Amino acid sequence: MTEYSYIGTEAPRPDAPDKAAGKALYIHDLVRPGMLYGKIKFSEYAHARIKHIDTSKAEKLPGVHAVITGYNTPEIRIGFIRDNFALKKDKVRQFRDEVAAVAAIDPDIAEEAVDLIKVEYEELPSVFTPEDALKEGASLVHEVDTRGRPKSDNVVPVPWKFVAGDVQKAKQEAAFIAEDHFQTPLIQQSCLGTAGSIAEFDLNNNLLIHAKTQIPFLAQNDFNRALAAMGLKGKNTRVIVPAIGGSFGTGLDTHSYEYISILLAYKTGRPVKIVFNREEEFTALSPRQPPKSHIIQGCDKDGKLTFREIRMILDNGAYTSWGATTPSVMMLPISSLYRVPNVFYETKIVYTNNTYCQAMRGYGNPQGTWPIESNMDQLAEAAGIDPYEFRMINSNIPNETSPMGLKISTCGLKECLKTVAEKLDWEEKHGKGRSKARGVGMASLLHVGGGARVYRSDGTGIIMKLDDFGNVSVITGGVEMGQGFDASLTLASAEALGVTPDKINIISGDTATCPWDVGTHASRGAFTACNAAIMAADKAREKIFHLASEHFMRRVQSKLKKQKKKDPDFEIPDLDYERMFDPSEFDMKENYIFLKGEPDNPLLRVTLEEILRAAHYKEQGTMIATEAFYDPPNENIDPRTSRGNISATYSFGTQGAEVEVDLETGKVKVLQFVAAHDVGKVINKQTIMGQIYGGVVMGIGYALSEEYKTEKGKNLNPNFLDYKILSAPDVDFPIHAECIETNDEKGPFGAKGVGEPGLVPTAPAIANAVYDAIGIRIRDLPITPEKVLAALKEKKD
Amino acid sequence: MKKFDYFQPETLKDAYSLIEKSNGSYIYIAGGTDLIANIKNRLIQPDALISLRRIKEISGITQNKDLTLGSMTLLRDIEKDSHIGQNYPALAQAVKILATPQIRNVATIGGNLCNSAPSADCAPPLLVLEASVTLEGPGGQRSIAIEDFFMGPGQTCMNMSEILTRIRITPPGENTGMAFLKVGRVSTDIAIVNAAACLTMEKNVCRKCRLSVGAVAPVPLRLRSVEKMIEGQEISPELLNRAGKMVEEEVKPITDVRSTSGYRRIMSGVLIKRAIEEAIRRMEQNK
Amino acid sequence: MKKIIDFTLNGREVSAEVESHKMLLQVLRDTFQLTGTKDGCGQGECGACTVLVDGISINSCLYPAFEVDGKSVTTIEGLVGEGNKLHPIQEAFVENGGIQCGFCTPGMIMSAKALLDENPDPTDEELKKGISGNLCRCTGYVQIVDSIRKAAKSLK
Repeated sequence: MTEYSYIGTEAPRPDAPDKAAGKALYIHDLVRPGMLYGKIKFSEYAHARIKHIDTSKAEKLPGVHAVITGYNTPEIRIGFIRDNFALKKDKVRQFRDEVAAVAAIDPDIAEEAVDLIKVEYEELPSVFTPEDALKEGASLVHEVDTRGRPKSDNVVPVPWKFVAGDVQKAKQEAAFIAEDHFQTPLIQQSCLGTAGSIAEFDLNNNLLIHAKTQIPFLAQNDFNRALAAMGLKGKNTRVIVPAIGGSFGTGLDTHSYEYISILLAYKTGRPVKIVFNREEEFTALSPRQPPKSHIIQGCDKDGKLTFREIRMILDNGAYTSWGATTPSVMMLPISSLYRVPNVFYETKIVYTNNTYCQAMRGYGNPQGTWPIESNMDQLAEAAGIDPYEFRMINSNIPNETSPMGLKISTCGLKECLKTVAEKLDWEEKHGKGRSKARGVGMASLLHVGGGARVYRSDGTGIIMKLDDFGNVSVITGGVEMGQGFDASLTLASAEALGVTPDKINIISGDTATCPWDVGTHASRGAFTACNAAIMAADKAREKIFHLASEHFMRRVQSKLKKQKKKDPDFEIPDLDYERMFDPSEFDMKENYIFLKGEPDNPLLRVTLEEILRAAHYKEQGTMIATEAFYDPPNENIDPRTSRGNISATYSFGTQGAEVEVDLETGKVKVLQFVAAHDVGKVINKQTIMGQIYGGVVMGIGYALSEEYKTEKGKNLNPNFLDYKILSAPDVDFPIHAECIETNDEKGPFGAKGVGEPGLVPTAPAIANAVYDAIGIRIRDLPITPEKVLAALKEKKD
Repeated sequence: MKKFDYFQPETLKDAYSLIEKSNGSYIYIAGGTDLIANIKNRLIQPDALISLRRIKEISGITQNKDLTLGSMTLLRDIEKDSHIGQNYPALAQAVKILATPQIRNVATIGGNLCNSAPSADCAPPLLVLEASVTLEGPGGQRSIAIEDFFMGPGQTCMNMSEILTRIRITPPGENTGMAFLKVGRVSTDIAIVNAAACLTMEKNVCRKCRLSVGAVAPVPLRLRSVEKMIEGQEISPELLNRAGKMVEEEVKPITDVRSTSGYRRIMSGVLIKRAIEEAIRRMEQNK
Repeated sequence: MKKIIDFTLNGREVSAEVESHKMLLQVLRDTFQLTGTKDGCGQGECGACTVLVDGISINSCLYPAFEVDGKSVTTIEGLVGEGNKLHPIQEAFVENGGIQCGFCTPGMIMSAKALLDENPDPTDEELKKGISGNLCRCTGYVQIVDSIRKAAKSLK
């Protein structure tokens, strides 16, 4: 085992002290000179023709600088397939559609002005379920496609299909089969810090935008395209990302409100800030998609999975975000979680007049794992095999390529399963029909752990810049949004370079100064940035040791002379001059440069800063800055075959729950929870535990209490009063989190990505425990007391 | 949010004179934790708020023969009052799990009642304790039973200029136990259903029974017919089941974003059963 | 309607002319530029705006600014000592992973302070109830609870 100085320690996060003191600056806290406040007028219908917009009263309100609509601004198309518009013209397709916006000198006036805008609509027939939207003669959400050709149905032109082997044949030959239907609700990311942006132009008409985004560089690209649409072709955008109050996928797309702040800033010549209030955050940002799945799985008489078939229908809402690509990630567990040779997966994504959806932590994986892992228990029961045993029989193993072409290198799934079984006392507790309506359940996950090539590049850049004092600026394209990116990158950089973590200063979130990165998503932040940091550190070390070969000996000699002066009895040792002139003979740790194998002699080591200064302050001096661009060895999914090794390595995990059900109220109480995750290698113990705990509790909310409710396209619970995320007293049970280290050779120091996995299998683990407790299978999340009680009643009747 | 003026009178008289000249566009504000949120959500748009926070005479807890709670007593102070905790545990429990510490540090018992939410947690305990409330206005004061106070969601029997000033509770006699229970979607929640029971026992026989359930009708309910059925009876599992069934028939819950009418109906029966059991358990503990 | 209100803010006597419809949160953030106190929901549901008024935790988003006249207000900035010395509770959050995105943190720490001031040795249940008015979406509360528990120890 490699001995590390910092990797695997519990070092506190570098961003924590400022956050603890209330000094971190979020978009809400930023004020630019001359700044105006923007506010958006949203649609009052789910589907309607805009007949007339009267902005005259709003324009006359003192303090108002601009009122814009789709009619007096250039058309800006946005979204994954460009079927959305910054401001809507002609018709609205969902309640949150942006029909007008104002900029005013304070938020109160902006709000008043928005109220003064009167819009006349003609209501159109709407579709609120994908099933209705697919019916013959259903009202069309989009009459034309993005190229202006007439559309004949509401199907979103983003089909996903995966076929491996022969499912029909496998079905006929299977010894046991389990089939069922499952669904999940809309889920709101519920970032504590709401969304917002501040846009402003310089006198060259280049755009500066402070934005709450996870994809500063893709956003730059999007905004530049908007500038072109505004007649500012060739102008550039600088995106600056302030501190982020949680993102969880909300920052993977650029949003109408950002473009509206840009349009308002251009129109007024002043910085314009738009920040959502909580209600807007709920109603005007996109939640997680709600798929409905039909699943059939089968196994042979020994319990070996022989096939898996899933048909899925997804409610896209009115427009298409990057969220429409989540089935590509669902394809991972569907094709490759557990070893299954024959797979059929097909999706249909459908436009409706509901709020449009986007990605959220897990990027479709929780929605995919829900039917798989619920149905795994059903199949195990049909086969008469204990669900834990059943999972062990079918567990993925290291060094195997799955039918989708995922090259599974390291795989700790069996160990994860075993850990959960042991911690839950599975053998004692499972299937025992205990008198108190208690049960245990488990579920596993497979997720990208080595980046995810969903874009043409999966790369990330790092610049390491060293100053005269041995401080190291690690300049990255990645984004800290709470997950602990800076903390991991600090330790990895310190370890790789050989300096102490306090010397590392992470600089991020500025497209003008930071190197490119595709985005902080897909649990790839630490994996890619730490790999890039290792590369940049290696380059820096090479330069440092080269400088050492010029300056080390003289520094050591002067040290020895000083010592002799202090202590006349001191005998100057014989020095190995040859080694001191050879760059390859040096090593560096904890800011000290020394000859390999001799780290501890204080007289024979020199600080990094001494060498850097010696190299700097001389004629033809030099300083050190290195850069590296790491693009993981992974592949895009081939759109024709749906095959490709999308990630450089894969994360696995198993979670288990013990629950007790109150038979009179239907309430499910979690008694204990176990989360065992194959993380490759722990980089920062404190932050990785935070990712797992945070994921689990978010997952338990998904399982038991969270549901974004709508009626005819309108959100009914746009607040924390009625959208129930868990609070501290709800977490009144122990969560045992275990990190299984498999040391993946592609990972930085062996690490895999772990940002998302924490919530992926949580809901099915709980649902399986509920089944074990009371014999009730809940198929649509969340598992509310109402549903449990109704199912209990049905069972009794 | 519409702008409003804000007045802070120090006496009831000053409060009345402000409201009287306002033509109905001013309203009183107690802790404001619901009221301010309602204004922000544009559910109400008053021209001015008249704060009752500085009127000292209507704040505080006094225990003479009866327990008197000034309407502006903070929920926090009720929660921390050991006498109330000891002698009126149903009220103490209701306050303890009402909303969050930050809300309880500002919200008042009078405000909780005057909002007249069907789910008001303070209502069921006060109903089973047969509390009375004092209403004062420019025209004088009157005292009414808490049961007659609530008229519907957001509606009380008070007129615009009246202020709820005091809540009076006569201590229940010996051999009495009481409890408050609530179900929500998560630990901190508005009640899906809440319930209180107060029982006076003579050996196993119930001599006096007071039951109340909230969030299952336009106003918090006293369950008189169920009480009558229980009084004079020995408490048995069969009796409790019968009580639960009766409760289910008496309530008129609605379906909303928080729960369904069917679930609320069943829960009202379950909670009443459990509240009765809990009340008896407490009484026995106190012996 | 406007009025000059005088109050103590983080130990200093201050005075400001405020409009009657303003909440304390806006006065802190806009007038005094103390942006550590966060606006998370504006409805008293998330606790990000928690500050202490006369030592007691309140949601500043629902607290009419006029009401602090004559009172003492402590915000997250007020916990930091000279030379940027963090308060032991802040220190414990830093040391024990109680902070992720940081948006709930100031309110969470103020609730923890109110709790520990009144109850220096809370049980687990009391501790969790003490922060039940503060939502956090990142941490799952485990390391927050741990941080407060350790802070309680170091404050003894």
